[in-house]
Amino acid sequence: MAGSRGVLEGVKVLELGSGAAGPVATRYLVEQGAVVVRIESSRRPDFLRILWLTRDSPHGVDGSPMFILLNPDKLSVAIDMSRPEGVALARRLVLWADVVAENFAPGPMRKWGLDYENLRKLKPDLVMVSGCLFGQTGPHCRYPGFGGQGSAISGYNHLTGWPDRPSQGPSHTITDSLSPRYVALAIVGALLNRHRTGRGQYIDISQIETGVYSNSEMIVRYSANGEIVTRQGNRCERAAPHGIYPCRGEDRWIAIAVLSDAEWLALRRVMGEPGWARDARYESVEGRLAAEPQIDEALVRWTSAFDAHELMQMLQEAGVEAGAVQSYADLLADPQLAHRGHFQTLEHVHLGKLHFERPGYRLSRSPGAYHAPGPNLGEHTRKVLEELLGMDPQEIDTLAEAGVLA
Amino acid sequence: MLEGYRVLDLSGEPGFLAGKILGDMGADVIKIEPPGGHPDRRPPYLAGIEDPERSLLWLALNTSKRGITLNLGDERGRELFQRLVAGADVVLESEPAGALESLGVGPEALRRSRPELVYTAITPFGQTGPWARYRAHDLVAVALGGNALTTGHPDRPPVRCSMPAAYFHVGPEAALATALALWARVNTGEGQLVDVSLTETQLQTLLSAPAQFAFHGRPTRRSGDRLGGTREIWETRDGYVSFGLRGGPARVANLRATAQYMAECGMAPEWLERYDWESYNHNTLSEEEVARLEEAFATFFRTRTMRELYEEAVKRRIMLAPCNDAQELIEHPQLRAREFFVKLEYPEFDAVIEHPAFFGRSSQGDIRIRRRAPRIGEHNAEVYGELGVETGELQALAADGVI
Repeated sequence: MAGSRGVLEGVKVLELGSGAAGPVATRYLVEQGAVVVRIESSRRPDFLRILWLTRDSPHGVDGSPMFILLNPDKLSVAIDMSRPEGVALARRLVLWADVVAENFAPGPMRKWGLDYENLRKLKPDLVMVSGCLFGQTGPHCRYPGFGGQGSAISGYNHLTGWPDRPSQGPSHTITDSLSPRYVALAIVGALLNRHRTGRGQYIDISQIETGVYSNSEMIVRYSANGEIVTRQGNRCERAAPHGIYPCRGEDRWIAIAVLSDAEWLALRRVMGEPGWARDARYESVEGRLAAEPQIDEALVRWTSAFDAHELMQMLQEAGVEAGAVQSYADLLADPQLAHRGHFQTLEHVHLGKLHFERPGYRLSRSPGAYHAPGPNLGEHTRKVLEELLGMDPQEIDTLAEAGVLA
Repeated sequence: MLEGYRVLDLSGEPGFLAGKILGDMGADVIKIEPPGGHPDRRPPYLAGIEDPERSLLWLALNTSKRGITLNLGDERGRELFQRLVAGADVVLESEPAGALESLGVGPEALRRSRPELVYTAITPFGQTGPWARYRAHDLVAVALGGNALTTGHPDRPPVRCSMPAAYFHVGPEAALATALALWARVNTGEGQLVDVSLTETQLQTLLSAPAQFAFHGRPTRRSGDRLGGTREIWETRDGYVSFGLRGGPARVANLRATAQYMAECGMAPEWLERYDWESYNHNTLSEEEVARLEEAFATFFRTRTMRELYEEAVKRRIMLAPCNDAQELIEHPQLRAREFFVKLEYPEFDAVIEHPAFFGRSSQGDIRIRRRAPRIGEHNAEVYGELGVETGELQALAADGVI
């Protein structure tokens, strides 16, 4: 029923690929009840399973927190895709699925005959989305890279940091978090379209292009005015003060954004109307922008005495936009995130309690939830082949003995 | 994809992208502005001429929308809005929580009169909760959402992206949530409230780092142009490139290929030509070894341009990426080959502007810019005409400041 199981209940997704961008996209779908089957391989495990793996890792490929956290509720089927029987099995899973989502660099899907041109013959109304770094076509489509390369190429490194220092990547890269939303959206959009028209389709998504599309303003500013937007610390051309200021404690900070003259007056009141701030020139944004270094210097002296969260509350209650620069520990204790149930705790067989992250939205009638942590490699092979494909147990045994289910 | 769905987009800057995405996917998106234009028709302006019609942010993020004006502060304006809602599938807005409810056109009121309506509200923190009345635009959202603390240099404050990246995250996520609610409606016939929190969407950028921290207790620190123990950002003759000395099975081949490239250019020290990449592990290198490697690579990169290095990287499958700016992107051979940019005409300004054309290439051409962003009230006659408002009445409404 609406409200209990999620809006995508009954939607069947087959996923191939690895890393963060692909699995995060389908995580949006499982959160709303879709069944997602991931084809994995113990010959070439998802690199998130082995990223920090050492000889002493007690649980091997099944003990990677990042993999487990990004893949809740997925059903893992181990298939050796270098074997023709493995590819044949994958094709049977395509017949089961409504959607195929993959994020390999171009190559493997075609090699296996699992590219859209082939699969649409098998299943004309298939919805398929690819989400690799640079797209399926073009002279650089086989350029190798992860999110770090994606951030740099799509312009975010150039935009992040200080004007007197080299480019910086935004932490944790950005295309790995931007592109999954577009992949998930393309899937739901194509399902809506298929419902209306009966037609499937293929969507070729480039992680880098999603980064540039999101930042259309930067492209338009260059194309229209020849302006090259460049990193400028925390400054804003239209507001001052607009920065991040130190607070009490080690590496504690507060962001303050004074976006109007009224907010400046409110900030003055919170500070107790100090003499330096009563300069009449500061009452207009032009005056504050002209004196930004002096204002920032005085603000640093004032904010340094406060606890970041206490100061945030004081300022927000007075109508000044401010926010503590939150650490991971702060996020885990954030009262607003707790109110929204952002972290959902699930017990993992090897790692114990883990906090799974929900999306940034809540649907009032379909609250969404996860039910199980990310799977062990091949955990659901037999279950999927028996229950979803209706395969005969003996046939499964034969494949297993031949080493295909690994 | 979304043909047949009608979206009423009341949003400001935080919601512009979400509405654009739905429009680029084929929905009939009607942008509703106050008479005189939305305050987020902000600078910079086309050719630097101050005029809300020339706002480049507006032109960039309101494509594929029709545009009308409407004063929701006026009783007759709200009546007109109710009539528009009767024919709409989605309302998208980014007012403070409760603001539109207090005018009688919030989610509760509208869904009472139209239960099929999907009401997508983007707010800084969500509709309810201890911080629901607090405010946050880009900088504060990025700070509270956890991305700022780990971005920047250890000897400087945390830092944001100089374009409003917080909105880039909330845009597609709000569009996704809206599409999910439309899918739910296919099955149930009922709409719902889609409550989107700008700050909560920022956590996604951390790729589960807070939960990993809860597990192993090791925080991430700002590390400037380094990542872990090794350099990540390198100076070239004309800019910067991103390149990691990190090892691992997925990366060793590219380190070997880089050393080979240097050797062919006569710029690899002898020891580097004989380097044992097979057993390379960046985690166990001594500081001296890191310094020796970095010196060799840095010396080489400084003799080359970003473009030279990148062209070789593509050929040799090296994971080296230029830190591109807008010009390098708009001229990018890969993006050009994929016809990623589309020229839109603005005859009233005698201008042609290139825009990113899609976020994905649909085999049916379903994702593309349908039309340029609307001028203020450009489609008043068309849209209100569809409602059956006569021309005379329209003129009276305009004279009274309702539209």
